[in-house]
Order: sequence, then C-alpha cells, then structure tokens
Amino acid sequence: MLIVSAASALAASTAHADARKYKRTVEKYNIPDITLINQDGKKVRLVSLLNSNQPVVVAFIYGTCTTICPVLSAGFVNLQNKLLTFGQQPRLISITIDPENDSPKVMKNYLKRYRAKPGWDFLTGSRSDIDKVMKAFNAYIPDKMSHYPLNMIRNPKNGTWVRLFGIMSSMELLEEYQSVAGK
Amino acid sequence: MIRIQFSITLLAALLFISCATNSYAAVPPPRDLPKAEIIRLGERMYRNGTLPSGKVMEAYIRDDVEVDSSFFSCSSCHLRAGLGSFEGGVVTPPTTGTKLYKPYQRPPSMGDTVDQAGRFIYAKTVIERPAYTRETLAIAMRTGIDPAGQVFNDVMPRYLLSDSDMSILISYLETLSAEPSPGASSSEFRFATIISDDVSQEDRQALLMPLQRFIAQKNQQMGMYKDFIKFGYAPTAEMKYAFRNAHLDVWELKGAPETWQNQLAAYYNNKPVFAVLGGISNRDWRPVHDFCEAQRLPCLFPITDFPVVSETGWYTYYFNKGYGQEGEAVAHYLNRMDKLPAETQILQIIQDSPAGKALAAGFETGWKELERRPVKSVTLTASQLLDQMSLGKLLAKHKPGVLLLWTDAGLLQRLPKLIPKLGGPGMVFVSSSYLGEKTATIAETVRDKVYITYPYRLTPYVGPKTGGFDAKVPILASAKDFGDRRIASRSTTMLQQATLQGLNLIYDNLYRDHLIDVMSMQMDVVALDYERISFGPGQRYVSKGCYIIQLGPGTAPPLLPRSGWVIH
Repeated sequence: MLIVSAASALAASTAHADARKYKRTVEKYNIPDITLINQDGKKVRLVSLLNSNQPVVVAFIYGTCTTICPVLSAGFVNLQNKLLTFGQQPRLISITIDPENDSPKVMKNYLKRYRAKPGWDFLTGSRSDIDKVMKAFNAYIPDKMSHYPLNMIRNPKNGTWVRLFGIMSSMELLEEYQSVAGK
Repeated sequence: MIRIQFSITLLAALLFISCATNSYAAVPPPRDLPKAEIIRLGERMYRNGTLPSGKVMEAYIRDDVEVDSSFFSCSSCHLRAGLGSFEGGVVTPPTTGTKLYKPYQRPPSMGDTVDQAGRFIYAKTVIERPAYTRETLAIAMRTGIDPAGQVFNDVMPRYLLSDSDMSILISYLETLSAEPSPGASSSEFRFATIISDDVSQEDRQALLMPLQRFIAQKNQQMGMYKDFIKFGYAPTAEMKYAFRNAHLDVWELKGAPETWQNQLAAYYNNKPVFAVLGGISNRDWRPVHDFCEAQRLPCLFPITDFPVVSETGWYTYYFNKGYGQEGEAVAHYLNRMDKLPAETQILQIIQDSPAGKALAAGFETGWKELERRPVKSVTLTASQLLDQMSLGKLLAKHKPGVLLLWTDAGLLQRLPKLIPKLGGPGMVFVSSSYLGEKTATIAETVRDKVYITYPYRLTPYVGPKTGGFDAKVPILASAKDFGDRRIASRSTTMLQQATLQGLNLIYDNLYRDHLIDVMSMQMDVVALDYERISFGPGQRYVSKGCYIIQLGPGTAPPLLPRSGWVIH
C-alpha cells in the first residue's frame, strides 16, 4: 500500500501520458428496424431508442461474461456517475450477445449489481434479431465467447458513430463522449 | 472509494528501483488465524469479493475505472478451480499456489500475433514469467506488474488490499486446487452413471449403450497410444493427457428416494469417481443433485424431467429445466400475447402427479416473475379428471378463456367437448412431454385451439460442419418424435460435445472444479435434439428454449411453431 500511495502522488500528472490504447474510427451504420426487449420486459423499437437528440453509447455484452463485459460495464458505471455529477444523464445501451440466457430477469439483476441508474438499458431479443444488430454494427460474432471490447457512441447531429475498440479508461471514454456531445 | 490514480509505467519504474535497492515488503502468512478460518475468509474474497471485514474489494482498471467486487470477483475470470480461462480472446492465467510459485508459460493465443482480420490488439497477455513469491504476488495484485516487470492485460483490476487481507488471499490461493480430485490419475478416469429402479429396461439400454461405447472407445484409443509408443514414436507433452483408460461404474438406486443418498454414499466410498456421466430416473433428481453438491462431484446431463431448478447449484449440468421449463414457456407466451384481454380468466387444471405439479410450478414461477396476478388452480386425481360432470361444472364455474391442462393423455379425446365450454378466446395449453406420443391424436376439429409445449428442435438439423460420420441429411422434427424421450441421442450429445471436450481441456489439471469450469466456458453447440445448447459461467441449464406449437392436419401432422425457440 505504501508503494501504491507514493506512486499515486507522483503519477497524478502523468496518468494519461500513455499512448492511446484503443482504436477510434467514425462509422455509418444502417440500424435494422427491429424490436428488442429491455430489462423490464418491455418491447422497445431499437431505431427509436437510438435516434435520440443526445449521444447514445452502445456496447455488446452478456450477463455471465467473465472477462471483457465486466470491464465495459464498469466503464458505463463510471461514465454515468461522472456525467451525472455534471448534470448530464447519458443514454447507455448494453445489448446482449447471449439472448437465450439473458432474460429480462437476468438483465435486471445485472443492472442492479452494477448499480445502474436510469438511462442505462440492457436489451435482449431473438437470436436472429440480435444477429442482425451485431451485423449492422460490424460486430457480428457467431459465439459469445469470441467477442471483443467495443463501445460505440452515436452523434446526434449527423447520426454517425464513433467506434471505440479496446479497453478504455474512464477519462478516455468521458472525453470521447463529451467530444460527440460537443462539450 | 478513495480516489487514487495510478500510472502503471511509473509504478513499474518505482518497483524496479525498489527491487534494486531493497527487498520486497514481506507478506507473512496470517499468524493469528487457524487454517480453516484463513481458507474460509480467503475463499469468500476469491469467490464473492468480500473482505474479512465484510466490505467489498476495491480496485482500478486502466488507471481510473473504479470497480469493486460487487461487480465481479477473482473467480469470475480465474474461475472456481483457479486454473484460469480463455474468453473474448483474453487468456486469464492460473492463480493457484501450485502454478504461481513455478515459472509459467501460457498457451498461445490469437492476440500474440498480428491479427489477420485487422482487429485492434487488446488481448495481449503475459506469455512467460518467472515464479512468484508471496511478496511479488502481492505487488502483482496491487500494481499489475509481474516479477519480470511485465505489465498485465488491462482487464486485470489492480486491487487496493491491506497487508492482512492480502496475506489471507495469498494463503488461500496456496490451498486452491492443491490436491487432485479423487477418481482420476495420469492413467485413468473412473466414472459412474446412476439409474433408479423405476426405469424401464428399454430406457436403461438407451442410456447405457452410448456410455459403454464411449468407455470402450477411450480404452481402445489407449491401446492404440500404447502401440504408438511401443513402435518408437515420441509423443508430444499434450498427447498423454488425451489418452487415459476409462472405467464406468453403474450405480443402481433401489427403493424409496429417501434412501438414495445413503446408497450413493456407499457406492462412492467404495470407489470414488471423478464425475457422474449422465444417469436416468423418472423420479425427482433432487437426492442425487444434493449428494453431488455435498461431494463436489460433477454430474453431467442426467436424463430427468425433474431437475433441481436452482440459481446456485454448481455441480450438476442439466439439459434444461424439465417440465418446469415447459410451464414457464407458457407463462412467457401468454404474457407476450398482445391481443389477450387483460381480464381473461386463466385456469390451471393440474393432475395430481409429479409431472402435473412440476408443469404448474414452472408456469407459476414464470408468471410471478412477470409480475402477473396468480391464476386459479385446481388439482385433480386421474380418476377425478375422468368425471365428466364435475369437470364440466368446474369449467362452467370459472369460464376460463385460457385453460392450462397439465394432465396426461387421458383427457385428450374429450377436448372437443370441453373446449366449447371455455370463454373467449378459448385456448388450451398442454405439454407434449406429458402427453407423449398421444399428442398427435388431438382431434383435428380443435387443433386450432390447442397449444402444445415442445422443448426440442424444430428446424432441420444437418450435423456438425466439421464433417465426420454424422449425417448431413437434414433431420426434421415430426409427430413421431412426441413419444421419443431422446435418451440415447441426448446422452451422445453429452459425451461427444460437452463431456469429452471438457475432459480433453483439463490436461493434467485433474480437479473436478476445473472440469466444471472448462465446460462452462465452451462455445455454443448446435445439437441434434435442441436448437442450441449454450454455456457460460454459472449457467447450468444448457438448452434454454421451448416452442409453443400447434398441429397441422392429418394423422402425421406437421408441427407448426407459434413462438420462437426462446420466449422472453
């Protein structure tokens, strides 16, 4: 603990000096007009949910994932908490890649475990609809165990998406979000 | 949470300076706690992320992503046996003392080379490292830097642990998977299968045939392997793990289920086995389930309509939730019926039998979770069900718009007289598993009113894409499948797709927990009987689907799906 504490003081000014560890591109996606189901069991039209006048952050995860999804979701928690302190309520959407197992009940418990606040939804659906969504975002994988860390932020001004590939720090995700939000 | 920002690069530099000038801070084992207490507290930290104080473990990812163990714990990634995992392209290395205190070289991963598909490389993990000590392990958990100064993958949180908590956790890791499990050795696996005395001779053979063939094949392969060595070929290090003799014991359960646990204990104490491969009973599987939980004994895919439905059960893998899954599917189907008026009366008629009760319990559980009001339920014996007068009065009294008929086939021929007594929309739900082959005899005049649960595949099965001896001819579900319990085909799926894969992947790590772990991390499988079986940490019911179907016309009617495979 002493080493950690000493290092932390010295580290503060250089915390973001590392080279960017994620890949950033700007993309255009054609979102299929499908209906998914949220953690409350309510049907939601995906296009309507995404066509917001504020940035929308999307990530593909699944409820029992061990490695990448917890990190992506921890990123959502941190982003949500930080933006709420600035008076902003971000729209965060996790979409399952394990639709057989991720029922509304599983998703609701997952969001509870992560202490998600309103504005963060978790969506499931039929296997074929989930496949369509993954393909639309150029993120299709035939099996959930082969997935990779992606965050995508929709720009409300022009409908483009900032695609962020990799494990991101809180500050990086916040900066990307604010950049899209024009803050 | 205390807000501390790390710079891993800077920490690495500081640690090397510290290394060069001082010895690492000592992390002695806890002296004031008995060993059992250290294991209890350490296991709680490792599995649940709960500190000895009862608080959560706090950590950081990528310098500033605050996480705590209410989100996930050590065992989420390193898994319960501590032998690690491979998921999302990330190799999570072992965390047992046995492995940590030796130099380590991990298996190759796609992340080691330039990704051919052009994906950004995020999954890079340490390929090789020297042995840890308690001291360097403490540094690694706090800073993400190994004894060679290599930095961990970003997905590994850097934990803020006090010296005493760290000492307990490290002492626990030293005990984790320290002793191989009984029933396995470098040369042999011993398995059992379990059969209760209510099972017919035909069903018994359907179970034993693929199991005995599996054992014979394993032993034949071992013979070939021995010849291979005899003729002077040098096997690779991994080959010896793929070839082991196998032995199958048949544990016969007789008499009342209350006596099963004692019978199982006697079998087990006589000759412990590494895992139970399948098994079959027409009764509640709970006594076997509980025995396997207590012994920490894997029980892989028994043929049972009465599995234990539990969110915490660990050692038994089931194909699905049995009758309960069919009842639950009806709850979800009705919940999704937009055109069903909210005031529609739903009546359950439950045959006083284990199957009737399990179907009703599955419906009620699903209905309650959907936050719907309880429905009317009436339980009747088989003879009461045949009393036309009282059944007619019952329907006249409740006038249900939806009738859940959790009964055997005894009532089927009377459906044309019963259905007109229902209110609108006059739907009847039945279970194909309970009705069996008689399902196909539902009168054509009422087939548009009768909805049937069907927990098996409907779309063509064309065999695995990898080739081999499996048929490539599409197999379609048909009315003749209603009476088929699929004992041999499901046991073959268990052996070929799930168990064999798991046994091959454990290499020389002969721990039952590890077998359970590696099976949970498998990719999904398209199986003969189910549309998809899927795995995942903690998932123990691998087939999640159940269609609601109706029958088309004729004596060999087509099966018409009225729902998707999974209904949320």
